Amino acid sequence: MAQPQVLARPKVTTMAAKRRQEALTGYMFMAPALVIFLVFLIIPIGAAVYLSFTDWNGITPVFDEGAYEQVGLDNYRDLLLGEHTEADGRVVKATTRQRDFFISLKNTTYYVLGVVPTQTLLALILAVIVNQRWLKAKGFFRTAFYFPSITSSVVISIIFMWMFTRGGLINTTIGAVFSGYDSNSFVNWLDDPRGVIHIILEQFGVTRANVGDWASNRSLGLTTWEWLSGPSVTMLTIMILNTWTTIGTMMVIFLAALQNIPSSVYEAAAIDGANAWRIFRQITVPLLRPTTFFVVTLGLIGCFQVFDQIYVISSGGPAKTTLTVAYMVYQNGFNRSAMGLAAATAIILFVIIFAFTLLQRLFVSERANV
Amino acid sequence: MRKLSVLTLVVVLALVVSAAGAALARQNVEITLMGWSSSTEENDALLAQVAAFEAANPDISVNVQLVPEYDTTIQAAFASGDSPNVFYVDSSKLPDWAEAGVLASGEGMIENLDDHYESLLEAFTYDGTLYCPPKDFSIMALQYNKDMFDAAGLDYPTPDWTWDDLRTAAEALTGENEAGQKVLGLVTPPNFERWLPFLYQAGGSVLNEDWTEVTLDSDEAREALEFYIGMVNDGIAGPPSMVDAGWGGEAFAQGRVALAMEGNWVISYLVEQFPDLNWGVTELPRHPAGGQASMVFTVCYGVASNNDYPDESWQLANFLTGPEGSQLVAEEGFGVIPPAISAADTWLEAIGPEIGEGFLAGAEYAHKWQFPVGFQDVFDTFNADLQLAFEGQYLAEDVIIDTIGVAEEVLAR
Repeated sequence: MAQPQVLARPKVTTMAAKRRQEALTGYMFMAPALVIFLVFLIIPIGAAVYLSFTDWNGITPVFDEGAYEQVGLDNYRDLLLGEHTEADGRVVKATTRQRDFFISLKNTTYYVLGVVPTQTLLALILAVIVNQRWLKAKGFFRTAFYFPSITSSVVISIIFMWMFTRGGLINTTIGAVFSGYDSNSFVNWLDDPRGVIHIILEQFGVTRANVGDWASNRSLGLTTWEWLSGPSVTMLTIMILNTWTTIGTMMVIFLAALQNIPSSVYEAAAIDGANAWRIFRQITVPLLRPTTFFVVTLGLIGCFQVFDQIYVISSGGPAKTTLTVAYMVYQNGFNRSAMGLAAATAIILFVIIFAFTLLQRLFVSERANV
Repeated sequence: MRKLSVLTLVVVLALVVSAAGAALARQNVEITLMGWSSSTEENDALLAQVAAFEAANPDISVNVQLVPEYDTTIQAAFASGDSPNVFYVDSSKLPDWAEAGVLASGEGMIENLDDHYESLLEAFTYDGTLYCPPKDFSIMALQYNKDMFDAAGLDYPTPDWTWDDLRTAAEALTGENEAGQKVLGLVTPPNFERWLPFLYQAGGSVLNEDWTEVTLDSDEAREALEFYIGMVNDGIAGPPSMVDAGWGGEAFAQGRVALAMEGNWVISYLVEQFPDLNWGVTELPRHPAGGQASMVFTVCYGVASNNDYPDESWQLANFLTGPEGSQLVAEEGFGVIPPAISAADTWLEAIGPEIGEGFLAGAEYAHKWQFPVGFQDVFDTFNADLQLAFEGQYLAEDVIIDTIGVAEEVLAR
């Protein structure tokens, strides 16, 4: 259809106007994502920060008058110092909150120290294996290794619970292999609060009773002996579970990076006479450094926030040895009617994760510069 | 002209009909009832009750929501100001919710007060205000595996058993089953509420009457805790996980323990899933000096304070807990005991008197499961310490000192 040309007046557009127009179009395209980001991320984060300075119980409708009072830094003082002072000068003890917080921090730290290196290393090894040319049925192995990552963590946790009960698959299998390991000496994987380091020390005859008085020194609500417990047997079970489920994702990331390394580099090394181990050490690992940083960062964040496996398997028990910081946030918010405290716990967790990520970034980039 | 009048007639008729419809719609009120999902029988019985209520009150329709993760779901609903009209309230949650102001006061609203057990009404009274009518209740009693008692040549437990009888029997019943698995005399979950009957039987208490002082620092508390821990340390009792079970009822059902101290929720579990199990039930044993005690776990129908239809909500709550509603539950004869005293006989008949009486007897002397706001910290500390005590790492004295410390801190908050 021919439009009457005379009616269409040519628009006089300056460069600036055109740019504005383009920017507007750009923002329009971004709008859906921006709105979601704002509504489901920025506003909740802001709300959490705000609520961490209140004593909101998490039950009274939050917009009701008098639903909460401003308490300043009291929630943070409770968690970190174990007490706060009311406006009238009365000192309110919160030793339990402090103790629980540092117990959860200790448990989470052992968890992170155990899981992150293990899963990174195993994922790298698996990625290198499934990347080999000689490997038959690559597709099968890649799927098999990746499968745990895409299965619901609740389902996997329940299956693990069955495997690790006292009379379950794991114990029976070990019992079938080692004759001394019978049903009376079975490890109670899911309900054993003893620390792994404590158990190992005990094998060498080192116990709380004979180690000396320094072990009884208290810092931040816990004795030195308690700080050095290591993860409990139950926590170890959850660590094994989580390592196994996350390896797949990490492996896929490593695999993508491995396939990005040009084969010419390997060929050059082979011509220079490097053996397989040397190629791995001096070509593969250094070239994967950015990926390793990414994988470790993801692992750190994920591990610090571990929640669902704890919720399903142990609810923080036995004897609070699987109480993690993220689980404590949930407990404070929903079991103890202390949403303000829960928000403060979450903010501290955020600060910790942020600090670790920065630290690790510093570490990795320094190494890269050498 | 004629055409026009027909049209007018149609328009007028339509207006009248729609106006009548609007009036009807205004009368027809919808209220929401939220609870947690239980066994199929229990859910069906609730739906039957609600259907009976709707039939009796055609202008009210009830939207029943039985949700998983109830505590989390309803807390989110409260916090967002979108509370259901009527909802389940566990007696242990009552102080938190009453303090938060989400519960309407039941003073003057609850009917059939005479037909309710005093101990249940007391469990739903907080700070002198009665909040809600009890929905049902469960009482801890002693379950025993008849086959295992027969095999050991022991007499079945009786209501006048003392702690000593319990200990002796547990000792005799500990051993191994045919598959070579460990069998314990008694299952002792590492939970505060499971130990409390022993404390109360010994004459001890956790708090004073008006909840201002911690009274755990007593010989009675020490005696009760040493008894509970002692049985585990001596290898004749233990937590469910020691015999591959998730909870006491499961350990008992699978024949891995001879005695358990569960509430009547265990009935439908055992009857439906383990019909071959030959078991009996009697009251909890007494302290050697004669002290008798048990725990009652109960739930009520709370009415929201933030509520568009308070009258209709109370109508529903009263119907569900009244004589008629209770009968409907009682006839089904599953686990929980209906709240109305008048329905107790129907329940006993439906469930079988030998089973039912063992549980129901405790209604006379059972203590409520309710503590001040923030006491979750105390339970958690006690439970964690108790597990360490079961492992032999803590003494009863350590547990008591820790628990008192936390309890005093919580009261001072």
